[in-house]
Amino acid sequence: MMKRIWVIVANILIIISMVVFVFIYSSFEANNIQKTQIEHFENTTVTMERVTENYLEGEQRICDVWAHYINSQDMTMDDAISFIRVSHVLKSASAHIIYKDDTLAGKSTKPRKGTTDDYHVSYKDFDFLKDLSWIHEIGTSINISRAYTDSISGDQSIAFCNFVTLHEGGTDKEAILLRVLPEAELREKCLFHLEEFKTAELSIIDVNGNYIIKGQSFKNSSFFEFFKSYNKLEPVAQQELFNKIISSTGSFSMFNSKDEKCIVAYTPFDEAGGWTLISLIPIKNLNLSTQNWLLVGVITTGLFVLFIFDLLVMLSLNKKLKLTAKEAESASRAKTDFLSTMSHDIRTPMNAIIGLTTIAEKNINDQKSVSESLRKINSASNHLLTLINDILDISKVESGKLNFTPQSFSIVETVENLMNLSQPMIKDKNINFSFHISRMDKEHLYADQLRLNQIYINILSNAIKYTEPGGSVTVDMKEEDSLKEGSVKLTYRVSDTGIGMSKEYMEHLYQPFSRQTDSRVNKIQGTGLGLAITKQMVDLMKGTIECESEQGKGTTFTVTLDIPVSEHQRGEMKLEEMDVLLVDDDEVLLETGSDTLKSLGLKVEEASSGLEALGMIKHRESTGKNYDIVIIDLKMPDIDGIETIRRIREEIKTNVPILLISAYSYSDVEEDAKKVGVNGFLTKPLFRSTLYDKLSEILGKQTESDEAENDYSDLEGSNILIAEDNEINWEIISTLLSMYGINTERAENGRVCVEKLKEAPENKYLLVFMDIQMPEMNGLEATRTIRKFEKHWAKDIPIVAMTADAFSENVAECLNAGMNAHIAKPIDIKLVMKVIQKIKEESKL
Amino acid sequence: MKKLFNILTSIGAVAMLVSCGNSGGDTTEGFKPTLDPETKCSIKVIGDYSNFEALEEEFDRFNEYYPNVDLAYEKIDGYNNNLATVLEREDKPNIFFSYTWMNGNDKYKSVFDHMEELSDSNLKLNLDSIRPSLLTRDKDNKVFMVPVFSRTYGTLVNNDLFKKEGLSIPKTWNDLLSVCDSFIEKGYTSPLMGYSLKTSSSLMNTVAYPAFLAALKDNPEAFAKANNLEQSAGVYMRESLEKVKQLIDSKRINLEECDKISDNYTKVIMRFFEGDVPMMICAGDTVSGTKKRESQSEAYTKSPFTYTYHPIPLTDKGGYFVDSPSVEFSVNKNCNDLDMTNEFMRFLVTKEELSNMASLKRLVTPTKEMTFDPVYAPFNEVSSDHTILPEVLGVKDGLSIQIRVASYRVGRKQLTIDEAIEQYGSFEDK
Repeated sequence: MMKRIWVIVANILIIISMVVFVFIYSSFEANNIQKTQIEHFENTTVTMERVTENYLEGEQRICDVWAHYINSQDMTMDDAISFIRVSHVLKSASAHIIYKDDTLAGKSTKPRKGTTDDYHVSYKDFDFLKDLSWIHEIGTSINISRAYTDSISGDQSIAFCNFVTLHEGGTDKEAILLRVLPEAELREKCLFHLEEFKTAELSIIDVNGNYIIKGQSFKNSSFFEFFKSYNKLEPVAQQELFNKIISSTGSFSMFNSKDEKCIVAYTPFDEAGGWTLISLIPIKNLNLSTQNWLLVGVITTGLFVLFIFDLLVMLSLNKKLKLTAKEAESASRAKTDFLSTMSHDIRTPMNAIIGLTTIAEKNINDQKSVSESLRKINSASNHLLTLINDILDISKVESGKLNFTPQSFSIVETVENLMNLSQPMIKDKNINFSFHISRMDKEHLYADQLRLNQIYINILSNAIKYTEPGGSVTVDMKEEDSLKEGSVKLTYRVSDTGIGMSKEYMEHLYQPFSRQTDSRVNKIQGTGLGLAITKQMVDLMKGTIECESEQGKGTTFTVTLDIPVSEHQRGEMKLEEMDVLLVDDDEVLLETGSDTLKSLGLKVEEASSGLEALGMIKHRESTGKNYDIVIIDLKMPDIDGIETIRRIREEIKTNVPILLISAYSYSDVEEDAKKVGVNGFLTKPLFRSTLYDKLSEILGKQTESDEAENDYSDLEGSNILIAEDNEINWEIISTLLSMYGINTERAENGRVCVEKLKEAPENKYLLVFMDIQMPEMNGLEATRTIRKFEKHWAKDIPIVAMTADAFSENVAECLNAGMNAHIAKPIDIKLVMKVIQKIKEESKL
Repeated sequence: MKKLFNILTSIGAVAMLVSCGNSGGDTTEGFKPTLDPETKCSIKVIGDYSNFEALEEEFDRFNEYYPNVDLAYEKIDGYNNNLATVLEREDKPNIFFSYTWMNGNDKYKSVFDHMEELSDSNLKLNLDSIRPSLLTRDKDNKVFMVPVFSRTYGTLVNNDLFKKEGLSIPKTWNDLLSVCDSFIEKGYTSPLMGYSLKTSSSLMNTVAYPAFLAALKDNPEAFAKANNLEQSAGVYMRESLEKVKQLIDSKRINLEECDKISDNYTKVIMRFFEGDVPMMICAGDTVSGTKKRESQSEAYTKSPFTYTYHPIPLTDKGGYFVDSPSVEFSVNKNCNDLDMTNEFMRFLVTKEELSNMASLKRLVTPTKEMTFDPVYAPFNEVSSDHTILPEVLGVKDGLSIQIRVASYRVGRKQLTIDEAIEQYGSFEDK
């Protein structure tokens, strides 16, 4: 804050300094210009003095000539007046001759205005003829009076004077000849004719400041009075100024009657008379350049604008910097929090793993204790794996590096996978679970299956996790038309009767590491990343995720995604017309299942309980129109599915094929079911293809029981080449596979793998498990090399990536390199076996 | 002052009734131009003032409405003698100074011939704004001259000097005498001073004129005789002349000192500003020059003092307030641009403008609402019976000349009081 103030202060000081400099410089320049103009005005005034003096000299000469002539001719007053009348040519001028005595009276060449015969004139009341010293000898100077009111014409006039001698009655009589001219006429001659000084005016003053000739702008009867009237000056300074005016050439400034500042230039005029010519011009009328002021204005404004601009930019940058710093701080804090949380969340299962391993070691002879420890270690390991996956996912999401690898997949497989993964938890918590589908016409879609699985599993596993034992979890999956061409709108809704969420928590539901503060929640394992990842992935897939929750009552998550439909869809699925009885207490399943079966071309009857089903089958039996197939739900309220089947087989003695359906795992009831005569198992939800396949199978092989899921006996003796550089990993996989009677051979890196395959006799290996990151030659390169084999059986050998590079792009990379499948480490042996079995089956075809 | 105002208002009301219809005054406040504001013309005012800054300021104010009108004031030499000729000249003046004393004087007959009737209702001059006692009307109740200032008679008093000497400003005749004596005792050579070289504006007239009018104002018969210059009226001058003589003979007015004042205006003021004159006898016209000259006096600038203008306490009840017009304006009906000239007169003859001009000139405004400059404050205290209205009385110039010359000559010991009384009616002011 302080630094910013100093920067602003420094800027302001610089601006002020520059403006002051420019101002001083401009003032200096303006002063120079003004000085030059004033000097020019002074010089012009001096020139005007010469012009005026020449003009007045000319007028004086006329008076001189008249005086000479009168003096030379011994004229009387009347003679002289007559002579002048004759020689007078100017209409506006007149001449007066007055006796140089106390009367100062005489005659005029013209009669008094308004009369025809009054030629009498008297100058007795005029002060300027009381002292005649200013009238010099003829031809020696300009003898001009001050401006006065001519009593004959009434005009303000001036008079050029000379002494004359009249000859009256034989004696000489001294007289004064006055050539009288209107002052206005003279003033006109004394105008400045320069354009730049057009408004300037001239006056001529005597030593006392009295006007001899008075310009229009000059006020009062004396210039000095004029000055005093409108200007304040100390008497001494004032007198000094007046003395200067009447004795030298120069200029000064003063205010006129309009309070305008004026320049007054003065110069001696007719030194013999002691007069001064003064010129006056308002300073505003001097042609002073204003360019410098413009410069000052422009520079000041420019600097100010620049300053404001810089200030705004600076403030904006500061704001951004602050924001960035805040974000950095927040990021740093987030990182610290993240690491702290990670540390805690990783250490917790690790603690369990290490601790339980120690316990198992100590109780190595207690099989039960070891088994329990290993079960717990397994659980902790799985949690740790989930956590690591989630962390990696969220980091990829947040760094914007999460890519999708779309591929064609079956939504049926996705749902099966979902069911398989959730079953153990459902079973553990004894949760009432139901999974409904409706209108699932398009079973093959095109998307990143792994990510879609992840979304669905996250939501479902959360629902199961946060539902108390005995609670309910319901999944609804619905396919609708999408606005996007070639896509379907897949809605996935999971409702639970779990603990629910508070409104406060829901506000930051999707933030990483957010978990509701609840004693019940704390008991539940979770990374706090699942929903954050889910939300990010839904967003990236341009879908929506909505949540409705009420604390203590439960939560419903709804994910809606537009998913492109795969080009590959199964052909028409139709069965021969048969009567099917569908038994379930779940009305929704009855409705949707019935629809699906009908779509396969079957006739469907529904029973909502085992007893009802028994009655219906008995009825059919009695009428001889047996059902062709009976599909019975495992869990029903009165008598369950197995009991119903037992009673069907025992009481009705019918061989009708019966399929047992359930949303739960069959592992616990499989044996009992088979004993009572179940012909096959179906896992809910009932997809069309699932039903079609199963019914086709049942109808074709009625007596064959469903293939056991975990029967890998045909894989015994198979040879698998495993490219793995890590000793422990090699040991794990080879040991696990050996448990199923599978022989393994190790290649320490890609190059060894390629060589072994090259040298191996045909079909020596069923497949290759290929690690990716290996020395000398990695798995991808090795795969590409193998696929390039020429005329070699191994060119097409199934290669399955077995790697810790578990991201979808890694999967895509593997497939692109020519591999057939991808298994992520740590490995799930069940999954591995499934893959092997699938490959084995495919190889049979 | 309230009493005075009541009298003036009453007189004004009567005059308004008499002149009803003649003065078509525009009584609305504020001047509203009636001509084209862009009109270009020249207006010249002539008079005998050497300087008339107050009028020039009015020119500037008028230019705010009519910026292209060129107004100028011109001083005419030998005004009274040359006025008639000047009015005839080619460049005819538009407005000229006129005086009450010109009324009835044959010499100014042609001047009156040039005068426009200012009470013409078409001109819309606000004559109602002027105190009726100052308006001169002819027998037909017409007005040809409008007073722009009013004049009175009195003495400037250096208040600080009285304070310094521990004396009170005199309120009665006896006070005046004793205060003068006290000043003389304290070394002041002339406690009372004034211009004494000529009859015009002489201190003798300033003392005698109010007293002479006071002697006549309540005696119509005597006043008529005095106005008709009948010798028998001379006796009414006695008291006023005795007062002049008493002051001069007792050296309360030292004529030798007074004679050193060479003119009746600037020198009077500058002498007063020297700061050693307790009382300077002068007319109100002279007081008008004091403000401007304060800064021109070195002595006053160095040692400024407070001063006021008082009626001279000629009686036991104090002095007189002679309320008479000073300068009056007449319009030359033969001038060019008569419309604009009348527009200027309409602008000027308002309470605001006349008061403004009087304030600048430090003279008494002729308007009904008298707002005195603080210097004139003592005149507020003059009682109504000591207020004299020469225009209401109908004082003629001849009467004024008689007392002016008589008092001057008695003061200068050119005549005795008796001789002056004897010669009443025969005095001429040359």
